[in-house]
Amino acid sequence: MNIAVLEPSQIIVEGLSNMLMKLKKNFYIYRYSDLEELKNSTVKEQFQIAFVNPTTIQNRISDFVKLKNNYPQILWIALVYSFFDDEVIRKFDETLLVTATPDQIARKLGHFNTGAEKNQQEDLSEREIEVLSQLVKGLSNKEIADKLNISIHTVISHRKNIIEKTGIKSLSGLTIYAITRKIIHFDIYS
Amino acid sequence: MYQTHKTYITPDMKMSELIIENPSLLLLLEHFEIDFAVKEKTIEQICAENKIDLPVFLVFGNLYNGFYPDEKEITALEDISSIILFLKNSHRFYKHDKYPELKYFIGQLHERHNTEDILLIEKFFNEYFEEVLEHLDYEESVAFPYICRLIEKERIEQNNDFSAKEYSDHHTDIETKLTDLKNLLLKHISLKNDLSLRRKFLFSLFELEFDLNIHSIIEEKILLPLVGKIETEPENG
Repeated sequence: MNIAVLEPSQIIVEGLSNMLMKLKKNFYIYRYSDLEELKNSTVKEQFQIAFVNPTTIQNRISDFVKLKNNYPQILWIALVYSFFDDEVIRKFDETLLVTATPDQIARKLGHFNTGAEKNQQEDLSEREIEVLSQLVKGLSNKEIADKLNISIHTVISHRKNIIEKTGIKSLSGLTIYAITRKIIHFDIYS
Repeated sequence: MYQTHKTYITPDMKMSELIIENPSLLLLLEHFEIDFAVKEKTIEQICAENKIDLPVFLVFGNLYNGFYPDEKEITALEDISSIILFLKNSHRFYKHDKYPELKYFIGQLHERHNTEDILLIEKFFNEYFEEVLEHLDYEESVAFPYICRLIEKERIEQNNDFSAKEYSDHHTDIETKLTDLKNLLLKHISLKNDLSLRRKFLFSLFELEFDLNIHSIIEEKILLPLVGKIETEPENG
């Protein structure tokens, strides 16, 4: 499991890392000292959890919300030292106090685990399969929407789900996926 | 970006100890043309002996150890020729080392499993690497010469072909396809047996991915801003 920690204090990061390691799970912890660094990170899509010190986003809430919306798979946890502006805290999925015990952290993450299992159902829905098969034939979003009688917005959201479930983004990669799952026939590619 | 179990490299540390902790640093040495028999030497000594700029070495080395440089560290870098040397050697590594290696493994897989799936993977890989090579060529024939002329303070013609946006678009495509390839092999393509061959192939892919990641960070976040800085400097005469 990959965890991002957006926290300027090395002491806090090391402390949190140590506590996480004691949970005996396979964590990779990446530290960022400001929001810009996290935004520039090349491994964002691999994160499942982000611990964020709310002071690091205080003056950049809209940037943070944008990042959060772009990575809906991440559980965003505010790492709170003391009383903090409620309006900022509300932007997060969860809150963790620095005074938390290892048990409390485990519970927070345990809650997360059940959520992850749901995401692991990687089978595409019937509609997603329909969209995928049109997509790999080279149809545009608009053409797919017309053909399947759905809105472009729906096509886009199906595409997003397809990428999320398969882990494959490029059209040629999706084509291979479609062939190996017998969604389309090999001849189309060759 | 960093994983807490790796060391943040400083000039007084012993190279050998760092390599034992993170063997990927051998790639760093190779790209700087530094011999692996580092004895008991410190980073500072090794850089001096090999005429590699110390600040550049530290920033790059720390990238291999998972530390992303901050803006101050980047703007303090001056020796662009060390950076270009490193990048050119990385290119050689991709073209003449990684590419033939991966191609060989896929060829072997194909030989043992003459299936539709492997055929598709081979095709995907070839297309992917075609793109990589095209991008490397672009850098070598357009980007690097432009940057070299720039540091030599030669006057640059108004219409050069170099585009920072194109540079970074290439990188995104290359990284996407590599991730796709990995996911196809791990999640979607089912093969029987040949674990050892497949493991070698995957390890080789991971090594390529790791190095390419750092490569694009160096080019986009370090080299381009430095070049931008020189471009906007007033001319001295």
